[in-house]
Amino acid sequence: MTGMPESEKIAKQDPIIQLIVFRLGQEEYGIRIEQVKEVTITPDIARMPKTPAFVKGIANLRGDIIAVIDLEERFNLRAADQPMPAVSYTMAIEAKEYTIGIMVREVPQPLSIAQSVIEKAPEFIQDVNIHDKYIEGIAKIGPRIIVVLDMLKLLTPTEIMQLQTKATSSAADSRTKS
Amino acid sequence: MKSREQEYREIFMAEALEYYNAMSRHISELERDPADSEALRELFRLMHNLKSNARAMGYNPIGEVAHHMETIFGLIRDKEKTFTGSVVPVLFSGIDTIGEMIRAVGENEELPAVNRLMDNLDRLVKGEEPNLEDEEQDDDEDVSRKLELSDLVYIQVRKLDHLMNLVGELIIDRDRILTLSKEIGNPALATAAAHLARIADELQYSVMDARLVGVGSLFSKFPRVVRDVATTEQKDVELTMTGEDIQIDRNILQIITDALLHLVRNAIGHGLETPAERVAAGKPAQGHLTLSAQAERDDVLVQVKDDGRGINVASVRRKAVERGLVSAQGAAGLNDDAVRAFLFEPGFSMAKEVTEISGRGVGLDVVKLAIDSLGGQLRVASVLGEGTTFTLVLPTSIAVKGALLFELENRNYAIPLMHTDSVVSLLPESFNVVGGLLMTRIQDENVPVVSLRRLLHNGDGPLSPAQKTDLTGRQDIIIVNYNNRRLGLIVDRFLRQQDIVVKPMSKPLDTIDLFGGVTLLGSGQVCLVLDVPALTRLFLAKRP
Amino acid sequence: MKNRILIVDDSFYMRTMLKNMLTDAGYEVVGEAANGQQALEMATATRPDLITLDVILPDNTGLDVLKGIRQEQPDVKVVMCSAVGQEVIVSEALESGATAYIVKPFSEEKVLEIVGSALQDASSDQA
Repeated sequence: MTGMPESEKIAKQDPIIQLIVFRLGQEEYGIRIEQVKEVTITPDIARMPKTPAFVKGIANLRGDIIAVIDLEERFNLRAADQPMPAVSYTMAIEAKEYTIGIMVREVPQPLSIAQSVIEKAPEFIQDVNIHDKYIEGIAKIGPRIIVVLDMLKLLTPTEIMQLQTKATSSAADSRTKS
Repeated sequence: MKSREQEYREIFMAEALEYYNAMSRHISELERDPADSEALRELFRLMHNLKSNARAMGYNPIGEVAHHMETIFGLIRDKEKTFTGSVVPVLFSGIDTIGEMIRAVGENEELPAVNRLMDNLDRLVKGEEPNLEDEEQDDDEDVSRKLELSDLVYIQVRKLDHLMNLVGELIIDRDRILTLSKEIGNPALATAAAHLARIADELQYSVMDARLVGVGSLFSKFPRVVRDVATTEQKDVELTMTGEDIQIDRNILQIITDALLHLVRNAIGHGLETPAERVAAGKPAQGHLTLSAQAERDDVLVQVKDDGRGINVASVRRKAVERGLVSAQGAAGLNDDAVRAFLFEPGFSMAKEVTEISGRGVGLDVVKLAIDSLGGQLRVASVLGEGTTFTLVLPTSIAVKGALLFELENRNYAIPLMHTDSVVSLLPESFNVVGGLLMTRIQDENVPVVSLRRLLHNGDGPLSPAQKTDLTGRQDIIIVNYNNRRLGLIVDRFLRQQDIVVKPMSKPLDTIDLFGGVTLLGSGQVCLVLDVPALTRLFLAKRP
Repeated sequence: MKNRILIVDDSFYMRTMLKNMLTDAGYEVVGEAANGQQALEMATATRPDLITLDVILPDNTGLDVLKGIRQEQPDVKVVMCSAVGQEVIVSEALESGATAYIVKPFSEEKVLEIVGSALQDASSDQA
């Protein structure tokens, strides 16, 4: 990253931001560190009937009962031959009125980048299956491409619950398949 | 930190409301027996205290009214006046006004005008006749007034609530530590854990105990209500109250206040007949209303009982059909209890015309919702021509519920005992399939049975018809009961009965009403608590 | 040594206010009683230097309590508390051995002045 010319050019007035980077399917995603409360091994989750399939259920995180969601499932990013491993990790994210858990397959890693590295999402973003309104931008670091998500928009109750009808049917599909 | 002024104000308010309630009670006693010198002395003393306290707070208008009232009660006490004739309505309205003034102070609102009352009180002191025109209309307004409970015992209820929540957390940790100590098997740890468990139990008991108040603190408001409603409805009612000492959580009492008020108004407005009707029916002219409380195991039963005309099951049945709640054919097959349960359906009102008293907004469905929210039950029993009894089955305390734990798809679930009739284990031959529904006979009654797994995991459409071949081996079934409807739920395995602390469902999942909340088990596992009313509704909506 | 005071009043509000005033001024409030019987028991148990006594109490009148206390403890100072309108009882109380009286609603200065001078009498009596 030190060798990158654009970061040298604007280093003076360009603030450094910290991301938490994690993998969904084959792609890398990032969240601003302020939005992440903690990262832990995914606790025991109780499945909630009558919720979208990507809502994995509720878990006890130090006395807080939080909903845990699976974004690979939410955005259809999971490869068929790569089920969520038995030990996964959960990032507790502070949404507006509540805390919510996001399940990821590998330990998320912190990463510092200059603000300016994050570019507005270009057209090809359609390919990653995530609606662009949840995307704050794209960070290109060498060969890596990190999609920076705006968690507050993604985790509103309407975003999570409005999908219910659509998701219940797809959940029913996935159940009949398995 | 609270300022001392604020503290004085809170104490003043709590005490003033208490005085007002006691004065309302004593003046009704005095009306029944004008020679009741005890009631008179109390009225005098309470008025005196209110006067002093109001003046010390700078609430001079309250002080002035109280001072005048005190003077008149003093005159009556000293036999210079009697509690008869026009004195009675003026003093009653004086106490009402004092109540309004106290509430206005509490809400930071403008105090009501008291010129007319003060003028009448002055006239009484001077031995002149008061001006009582338009007094009737004032009475009507009084009938719809809200009842309030004092927010202070010795400490604020919200502090007790907080304490209660903390104890709830402690109880969860207690269970967790007990489980751990069993797993680890260290004797010293086991002793310490057992000691901790005992202390935690005792603490929980003490905190719950601190929140208990006598049911009488709510009942005491009713002599006045009954008198006012009876006057407006032109009924002659004698009120009997028993079980005032029965203890119940103060917040529960607060939640049932409006429900009880509604039931009492209903009983006088619709239940009891006019004196003429009663005499014609061969009954004593005076109707009888009983408010009672009794403890039954861990529950408190509050009853509102009248000896009025009773519920006409035939007309409820007819109306249920008219309202489309049930088909004519279906209605014919229902027993009386099932028909009376329609009274609690939203929008079902039995009054021929909406009278002024009971027609204000709410029906029995609202009463039912209030009781449901507490995890309680509302029952009605009635004999045509002899009277009606509404029974509120209430938990003593809200925070801890008895629950039945069971297993479904390798997960633990809890179901509150309040809505659980029984558990049975049945072989496939005990079932019949009727209209796509599994049915079984429990205590001489046909009860529909559904697989909880299918009910929970069914999509949006109706359930597919049940088949006997779905069943293999013994079936563990929980018979739940909501609003007189019994329903059997097939689960994978019964686990045990346990007291649980229910935590509300966290956002954004709180919109799913099938679950009343969650509880944490001793193992730390999250356990969903099923909501029987919502589950019953789901079954009714989705049955094949 | 701090002077020890017992407060007798059936209103929690009045007791709280008196207690705050007296404690702030450096007195020790040794007890509070809400009715006549409690007052007599507390007076025996705490042996206060001074009692503030409300004239109207739920069980006894303040006057009966005053007489009861006087019989047992002739030296204790008793300050009657009354609202306007109870002048008859107050004068009877003074005849029955009350040291002084305060009229409600009272100001802090007035309370401290009357309590102070009532206790002054006590120390000069002993001297």
